[in-house]
Order: sequence, then C-alpha cells, then structure tokens
Amino acid sequence: MVRIAILLLCLMPVAVGLLGAILPALGWFPPLGEYHFSFQPFVDFFAQPGLRRSLYLSLSVGLLATFLSYWLAMFLLAILYGQGRAGFLFRLISPLLSVPHITIAVGFLFLLQPSGWLSRLFSPWLTGWQRPPNLNIVPDENAFVLVLALIAKELPFLLLMGLSALSQIKVRPLLDTAASLGYGPLAGWMHLVQPQLAARLRLAVLIVMVFSISVVDMAILLAPSTPAPLAVRILTWFRDPDLSYQFIAAAAAVMQLACALLACVIWVGTDKAILFLIARLSAAGQRFSRLPSSFVSALKKGGVILAVWPCAMACFGMLAALIWAFADIWRYPSALPDEWGLNAWKYAYISLGQATLNSLVLGLVTAAICVSLALLWLQTETAKGDKHAERLIYIPLLLPQIAFLFGMQILLIWLGFDGLFLALIWAHSLFVFPYVMLSLAPTWRRFDARYLAIAATLGAGPLRRFLAIKLAMMTLPVLTAFAVGFAVSSALYLPTIFASNGRVMTLTTEAVTLAAGAGRQNLGIASLMQMALPLCVFLICDRVARVRLARFSFFKL
Amino acid sequence: MFLCNHKQAASKMDAPSTFFDIKLRGHFRMRIPFHFLKYRQIFRTKFLALMMASGLVFGGVSAQAADFELMAKKARGQTVYFNAWGGSPQTNSYIAWAGSQIKSRYGVTLVHVKLTETADAVARILAEKSAGKTRGGSVDLVWVNGENFASLKRQGLLRSDSWAFALPSFAYTDAEALPGIISDFANPTDGLESPWGRAQLVFGYDTQFVPNPPRSAEELANWIEKNPGRFTFPQPPDFTGTSFLKQILLEVSPDKGIFAAPASEADTKTALAPLFSWLDRVRPRLWRGGVKSPPNYTSLVQPLGDGELAIAMAFNPAEFSNGISQGILPDSVRTYIHDAGTLANVHFVAIPFNASAADGAQVVANFLLSPEAQIRKANPELWGDPTVLSIPKLDATDAKAFADLPRGMATLSPADLNRTLPEPHPSWVGVIERAWMARYSAN
Repeated sequence: MVRIAILLLCLMPVAVGLLGAILPALGWFPPLGEYHFSFQPFVDFFAQPGLRRSLYLSLSVGLLATFLSYWLAMFLLAILYGQGRAGFLFRLISPLLSVPHITIAVGFLFLLQPSGWLSRLFSPWLTGWQRPPNLNIVPDENAFVLVLALIAKELPFLLLMGLSALSQIKVRPLLDTAASLGYGPLAGWMHLVQPQLAARLRLAVLIVMVFSISVVDMAILLAPSTPAPLAVRILTWFRDPDLSYQFIAAAAAVMQLACALLACVIWVGTDKAILFLIARLSAAGQRFSRLPSSFVSALKKGGVILAVWPCAMACFGMLAALIWAFADIWRYPSALPDEWGLNAWKYAYISLGQATLNSLVLGLVTAAICVSLALLWLQTETAKGDKHAERLIYIPLLLPQIAFLFGMQILLIWLGFDGLFLALIWAHSLFVFPYVMLSLAPTWRRFDARYLAIAATLGAGPLRRFLAIKLAMMTLPVLTAFAVGFAVSSALYLPTIFASNGRVMTLTTEAVTLAAGAGRQNLGIASLMQMALPLCVFLICDRVARVRLARFSFFKL
Repeated sequence: MFLCNHKQAASKMDAPSTFFDIKLRGHFRMRIPFHFLKYRQIFRTKFLALMMASGLVFGGVSAQAADFELMAKKARGQTVYFNAWGGSPQTNSYIAWAGSQIKSRYGVTLVHVKLTETADAVARILAEKSAGKTRGGSVDLVWVNGENFASLKRQGLLRSDSWAFALPSFAYTDAEALPGIISDFANPTDGLESPWGRAQLVFGYDTQFVPNPPRSAEELANWIEKNPGRFTFPQPPDFTGTSFLKQILLEVSPDKGIFAAPASEADTKTALAPLFSWLDRVRPRLWRGGVKSPPNYTSLVQPLGDGELAIAMAFNPAEFSNGISQGILPDSVRTYIHDAGTLANVHFVAIPFNASAADGAQVVANFLLSPEAQIRKANPELWGDPTVLSIPKLDATDAKAFADLPRGMATLSPADLNRTLPEPHPSWVGVIERAWMARYSAN
C-alpha cells in the first residue's frame, strides 16, 4: 500500500507530464484552441532550421560523454582496485559528486575561454598575448568542452556506482583464480569482473546517458548557440512569445525522448557487443601475455591521466571561480586579481542571500522527505520480488527532464500547487528519491538480519528493533543518503524553474541567470556558495554519524 | 521565506468583474468568454486613449487621484511579484530600492522575480491560462515591450481596463513629445502597460584597440573584416540582438519606407537581402567564429573588459560608464553611435489578466513612473536609463534634479544622442528573427 502510494507520487506527474507533451505534439491543445489531432507540429518541427546540427550536437555530446566517462571509470577501477593509491584518488574525485553541474560548467568557462585563467597564467610571459587570442573555444564548434565538463561530473558518479557494485562481487577470489591460470590482473579483470560489473552498472549508465543527451543548464554555458543542442532549443521554443511554438516545442520534446531512446539502444547494443567480444576472447583463452610490460604500464599511466584530467580541470576551474569571488578588478593578462576585495559581496548579500536560503531549506526538506520515503520503501520490502516495482522509481531519471516538465507544470497549476513550496518539493523529490535509493538500498540490504533476530529474542518489539538496532547501526549510510539527496536537489535546474513558476530562486537558477549577465564576481560568489553548501551538509552528516557510532567501540571508524 | 502567499491574495482580487461572472464549465473553456470580452474592452481602451491624446482626460486628474488613494488603501498588505529581467546588478539594486520605498510608503511588498528572458513570464502566464487559472496568477507585474507585449496583448493575457492611463504619475508624461509612451513599437499600448524607461542603442569601444570607431554599417563591416573575432551581437531573438539587426537593416536598405508598414505588405525576401549580404560578409569573422552568440547585451561587457571584444553594444546609454565605475571595463572605453542615428524605444510594465495583486501592481507601476523614482533611475551611477517623463510638466525642483544628474565619463550627452532611427513596424521583428534563424542556425 505504502509502496503503491510512493510509486503513484513519483510516476503520476511524469505520466501526466508526458501526456502534456505528446498531446500538443499531435496538435491537441485546447488552451490555444486546437482540438484536432494532426501531425502538423512534427511537420513544423522538422522544418526548423539547423535541426540536423542540433540533433548531431545532442547525440554526439551525449554518446561521447557517456562512453568516455564509462570506459575511463571502468579503467580506473580495474587498475586501482585494491591499491593504496586508489583511496586517495577516490577521495580527491568524490567532492566533485556533490558539486552542482552548473558550477562545474562555470569552472570550465572561467578556466578555458580565451580570457580564462589558463590563458592568464601563461600570458604574456610564455604566449606573448597582451589581449585574449581570437580562438574559437568555449564554446567550440562541436561542444567538446561540454563533453569534458560532463565527464568531470559523471566519471565520479560512475566510479562510486562501480565501487558499490564491486562490493557485491567477490573480486579478490576471481582475480586469484585468474592469476592461478596465468592471467594478469588486467586480463583477469576483463574476463571475470567486467562482465558482472557491466550488468550491474547498466541502470547508472543509462541515467548518465539520458542526462547528458538532454542537459540544459551546462549546455547554455558551454555549447554553441547557433544552433544550440536540441534540449536548449526546446526550452527556447517553450518560451517563445509566439505561442504557436508551443506545438513545435511539444513535438521536439517527443523527439528528444526518441533521441534518448536511440542513444540508450546504441549504448546497450555496443555494451552487448563488447561483452560478446570479451566472451569470445575468454573462450580463446586470450591472456594478452605477449604485450610488453612497458606498454602495459604506459597504458595504465596514460589511462589514469586521461581519466583524472577532466576532473582536475574542473577543480582548477572552480578555484578560478573562487578567486573571482574575491576579485574587485582582474584585468587580462594578470595571473591573479589586480585588486582583491569584497565589492561584489555587497550585491550578493541582497540577491544571493535569499537564493542560498531557498537552496538550503529546499534541499534539507526534500532530502529528509526522500530519505524517510526510502526507509519506508525498504522496510516494507518483502523478501523477494518487487524488483519490477523498484525499477519504476528510476523512470524520472531515465526520461529527459524537458520532455515531461512542461506537462507537469500544467498539472501543478491545475491542482493549484504551482509556485507553492509543496510543488517544488514534489518536483525535486521525483529526482532526489531515486538517487537516495541508489545510495541507500545496497547497504541497507546487506544488513545482517541476525542482529534483529537477537534483539527479538531479547524481547524488543518491531519498532524498537528498527529504531534502536537497524537505524542506529545504519546511521552512516542513512546520513550519506541524506547528503546525496541534498546535493541532487541543489543541482536541479529545470525542475526548479518549471515547478516554482520561476518564483523561487535557488543558487542554481541564479547562477544560470548570472552567467547571462555582466561581471564574473557574482557568478564566482554563486559558485562558491554552491560548492560550500553540499560540502557542509556532507561534512556535518559524516561528523554526526561518526560521533554517534563512536559510542559503539567495536565500530572502528 | 518561500514565496507562496498568492492564495490569500487571490481572495482580495479586484479584477474587472466581467471577467469572472462567466462560469467556466471546464478548465479549458476560457477561450470563448475571452473573445467576447476583448472587443468590449478594446473599444473602451481605444476610446480612453483617444480622449487622452486630445487632452480631455486630464481634467479628471483629481478624481483619478482619489481613485488611486482608494486603490492604494486596498493594496496595503499585498505582495507584488514583479517579473523582470534580472541579468544586471544595477537593475536589480534599483528594483530592490524601489521595493523598500514602496514597502514603507504603501505597505506593499515587492518581490523581484529575476527572469533570464521575459518570454519566460509570457510562457508562464500562458500556462496558467491553459490550466484555467483566471485568478491568483503567479505574475503581478511584468517588465515588457515590443514583441513580448504584442504577444501578450494578442493573446488577451493582460489586464485590460486601461489602468496605465489612470495612474497619477502618467500626468507627468507627454505623449505628443514622446509618442513611444503610448505606442510600443508602433503598437498602441491601449493603457495595457505603463511606461517605465527609455532606451537607445549605443556602441562602446576600447580606445586602446580602436582609435576611430566605425560610424556606419558599412564602416563596421570593413572594421570586422580587418579585426576578426573582436565583434559580436546578442543572439536574436534577444531584444538587443534583434535591434542590432534592425539597425543594420535600416542603414543598408535602399528603401527604408517599406519598414514603416507591416511586413506582410512587402516582399520580405527582397527587403531583407541587403541585411543578409551584410551579415554573410561579417559572420565568419565574428567572436567565436559565430558559433556562439552572447545571450544579451550585458554579457558583452565582460568580454569588452577582457579585451576579447573591442566593440560592444548596449541599450542603455550609461552601460559603459557603469562598467568603468564597477571596474569591469578599463577607463579607456568610450561610447559612440552611428552617424545615421540609432534605434530608440520605450520599455513598460504590464499587469497580467490573472494577477493576484493587481492593486499592488498599479501602486508599484505608479511609483516607478513618479519623478522621484525616475530621477534615481536616470542617475548613471545607479542605472542611467533616460526618463519617460516630460521635463516641462515637472515642478521646478524635479526638473532641476534631472538637469543636475551627473554623467558618466563614457556616456554621451543628450545632444549627441539625439539622432534616432524610428522603430520598424513590430511585425518585422518576427520576420527578421525567423529569417536570421533560418539562415544562420543551419550551418
């Protein structure tokens, strides 16, 4: 019953939202006086100029970003798993997980554009540039910067999901067996671990794919605009003062859905083909033993560097954003501000104060609700089955946001919820809840039920068993899931503008607005706040959990 | 903290009663009553505007003042959601100041909903109409002009009782001296929107890199060819971007007369041909090779300061002085306009048909149009937007305050700015934008 209610809450807006795109796409939109079904919207859509280029940009960015992040993540896992250095690397990369997408995009903008920090650091002493060079980068024609920025964000996510999946696979014995048969660690990994890992990561990769193909906020900053990728153009069409564009926007939203589907099919197909190839190699007993060891070690080093550099650039970019927040005057080509100061903070106090507070409250409330729902969901889980029901909660992540948010906005207005805090929480929860589940479910299920059995024999009732034993021992994963939920909520752009009627500013919506305005200082301050908030929540949650668990001396943390 | 009290405000609504007397059977049955109402109201507003123009209505100023007093009383306690583009810190600070004044004088709370594009608000009002939300709407006041206004007006999405002509502050304007205040891009305002400020297209250049700025479309094209990557314009349908295209079109067209008439009366392909041959010439040499156009004019300021751009444009004559005083621009930046003159127009505030706080919104509009608010707005250190008021109609103190306003180091004098080009008929906006999209989005 509870689970059905949760599913309904998550899926009903999505279903209505999709209808709200599909019906107008077929010409049925009573508010504009259209009651006849036709394919005219699609005809008009396909007549739009530059469509091929927009589709190409969307698909190429989505596919490239997904393939690169996935394979780089797999490579990192294969060579670093179980090594001491790995822990350090993961700790370095994992803060990126909590940073909103738009902040990463701002970082790349501040770092790589011709007047960016990188160019300033090497000018004029090395390059001789007294003014920014005339280079067509950020954005470049093919939106490679957007691909880089997406990798910087998605690679850590896939690494984390990979680590979580690996904990369910008995990696060590598998590799030992392979070694005893003369397979090196990498070959053994490829034959025995990778196929299992791939199967477990499919959901995560599809989420990444759909997100990358339909990303809007990062693309506004980093992709070409003449024409822009499809998702950005859909938003423009929805906003066009000429209301007949609503039909084209709806048809485009349906096409965006089709594109996402196509990309997922391409992904699954390639993945299957690669697994088939691995199976053939395994059958042939391919040990790659003829490859010279120098080549292998070069490959390893190259792979690590390749995987780490988008993340490193993101970090440098965010550092540049931090510096801008404290720069009163910073002329090209000075490597550091000419005048440091807090001038921009006076303005930021007025405009960003409210946005910060909104982000904070919205994130905390949404995360708290979603964690509670996740606990309800997990507690009401029957021993087996329910697998199908659980897959359904990921649907909002597997559909392009732009495809159903406009329709959902109409639903919210119709219910009289639009602009209410409640509507925002609801819209955010659609996206936060699945991530909370992703974070919490595996650990929760691995809980050793014998603790509960012992408690029961000592006379503890069900509520007490849940609160005093399970929840108490699970404090760390529950609070981590909470922090994850907060980070997801604070990064959401489209759901915020659609559900709040644009009335509630969060740091993310504010950053997109500021990026289209004068002065980098304010954007720097917004980025600083966006980095600080999720990080603080993570640190506080971690601290609380550790203090709580320290009482049980046998939990060595 | 979360801005969601329009529910309570809805009950205090006072919108034209004709609107709500009609019982809607379903949520999507609004269209019919709308059409019925529109004709009556258009007649009413047209009539009023006519009277205004002939000076008949000003006799009734004291009656209006009394009406306004009554309305201000009703507005007390309301929260007005002002949907206005929020990309400029000056504008945002100005609106914050106006909010604090309005709060202390009228007890009305002003919330600035910062838009990236005004079309967002248009889309939202439409979405509300779609869902049958005829009252308690989320937008109380919106900053518009030109195409967005035309669209709102055409779709019947605006409060239509000529409220703007009835505001006490409207008496300080002079529609004969500045026709733009009752005709928005040649589209009669019908009192659906209240004038707020004036704008003119100006160019800013860095004297370090450009000793003699190009003062015509032809010279500009030559300059761009010699200086690749140092010039760009905001991407149409951005307001300034489209205006820039109109500016070039007016300069390079042999027959300028056709643009005063609706686009449907002309052979648009031939009419736009000179513009596109100009654009074809410069496009490969625009900033970033033309693959990205900045979203609006304020985002040209930072690249100008960095030296990525050498010439930028703005719709606010004080923009470049502002940039210098904020330290974004070096003090080597100056402003210029083309010898043939540049486009100039008026921007407005309008109230949607379903506004939750229509009284409060009118109080705000009236304050924004008051001499006090207009003096502050014209101050280049705070915003620098020229006033829509008629100086001869002000009392001596206010007139002096306008005369005494400082002028930024990079701002042109009113005398230098007096060469203006008339706006083409609003129907050209869409034609130019679509043609631009079709030609330059495709490759």
